[in-house]
Amino acid sequence: MSARRAPRVLRVLGALWRLNVAEELQYRANFVASVVGTLFYLATALLTLALFFRHTTSLGGWDYWEVVVLLGVFNALSGVVEAVLRPGIGQLAEQVRSGDLDLVLSRPVDAQAFVSFRRLDVWRFTDVVLGLTLAAYALFRLGHPPSVSASLAFVVALGAAGVVVYAIWVALMSLAFWFVAVENISVLFDALFEGARYPVTAYPGALRFVLVYLLPIAWTTTVPAGALTGRFGPVTAAAAAAVALVAFVLTRVLWQAALRRYTGAGG
Amino acid sequence: MRAWLTRWGRRYGALMRNAWLVDLQYRAAIVLWVLWGVVEPAVALGIWWAIARAGPVGGYDRTDFARYFFALTLVNQLTLAWDSWYLDRWIREGELNFRLARPLHPAHEAVADNLAYKARTGAILLVVWLLVALVWPTVRLPVAPARWALTALAVVIAAAMRFFISFTTGLLAFWTTRATSIMELHAGLSLFLAGRIAPLALLPPAVASAAGYFWFPYMLAFPVDVLTGAAHGTATIVHGFVGQLVWLGLWIGMWWVAWRRGIKRYGAVGG
Repeated sequence: MSARRAPRVLRVLGALWRLNVAEELQYRANFVASVVGTLFYLATALLTLALFFRHTTSLGGWDYWEVVVLLGVFNALSGVVEAVLRPGIGQLAEQVRSGDLDLVLSRPVDAQAFVSFRRLDVWRFTDVVLGLTLAAYALFRLGHPPSVSASLAFVVALGAAGVVVYAIWVALMSLAFWFVAVENISVLFDALFEGARYPVTAYPGALRFVLVYLLPIAWTTTVPAGALTGRFGPVTAAAAAAVALVAFVLTRVLWQAALRRYTGAGG
Repeated sequence: MRAWLTRWGRRYGALMRNAWLVDLQYRAAIVLWVLWGVVEPAVALGIWWAIARAGPVGGYDRTDFARYFFALTLVNQLTLAWDSWYLDRWIREGELNFRLARPLHPAHEAVADNLAYKARTGAILLVVWLLVALVWPTVRLPVAPARWALTALAVVIAAAMRFFISFTTGLLAFWTTRATSIMELHAGLSLFLAGRIAPLALLPPAVASAAGYFWFPYMLAFPVDVLTGAAHGTATIVHGFVGQLVWLGLWIGMWWVAWRRGIKRYGAVGG
């Protein structure tokens, strides 16, 4: 697709990203800091797992290297959150409070797309690389390389996971239109996502139900990691895609309701 | 002596009233911070609960884990100190300047903020614990007023320790732009050495005994163990309190040195 035929919002975002990357390249020390921070984080996460596995041989039916695959997926998704979502849509609550959102709404582009993706914290994409590298290493240690269909299921499930994470952010941030005082609402996401560090099967039944069906955190790490290790098949991956679609549509509706409320209050 | 008490009582009264009212503006935000503080021990409890399904792990059965992590959540909330983040901002953004111009050391404002914040959030967690205990007998603690008194004392010392650790680390912002990263590093170590992810008894013995040479166990694990009853016997308790006081003294010393040198450097840059 030529740039000329691309939708307007993509051209606008493309221009913003180019500026963004040019700006970030000035601060290369941040790259080193980001990588060191992530390596330290992964080290503590691996030590935590080692501690758990000192006293058990499996966590919710998953053995050590399977949980490490999941940790890699978790870190990759955290990278997406830190690189794209937190600097983008994560700023929404503050913009609602200060009224800066008016400047976005007056632009002739889709407000949700613009708000969500206008800013990137490019160095944090290294977390995606480090996470996937860790997952690949763990897979190698597991000793059975994923089949073609498992790899495909993983790609689908990982894409779905990204959409689900994005939908959760949109849902939480839309709440800011109703509860203006909650400037640190992104903390709710951090709290929720903390539960995604381990396979959902490790949690008690009631909590597992909530994490699969109500707050669909199970689909973000457990399902992609399980697809990669062959625990889940293509059917689960298709279900993940369906969940992602439903989550996206629902949050789009919620976003529009929130926006109507905002313009109502502003005018 | 009485004049001195009245003077400081009035000062702290004013500082704490101010801190309390500022927090009141952000009460929804504070509930979210409390929630965030609850999640880490809740997830850890969930995992240990699953691991202990078959039977006790290292002497801890499911009940012990539940009590440990409930006590940990409360003690952590009562002792945690955000001061390194505040100090980092005060120093970087120059917000320290007007605080230095006041006739009162800025540390007093930080202490009052901590007291107001902990009174509010600690009360929330205590009420939550009591409500959970109504429906879930596992997390009920036996009535033991003497132990609770000892816990209160240990919590006060631990809170003072963590305050001076956090404040001193924040003061590093006089010299480096990454003071908060050093605090993150400290948090990462405390995950294991202070007992945040597991009771120290479950760590590899070498790590657990190495932890005893640092301040980490005294700032969290010790008060938690006093509350749950895991630390019992005069020798253990006395050893714990002595460790707390020694490390508190050392951190106050480091804080004093860092403050004196930092302010000198800060003045030189500004003037």
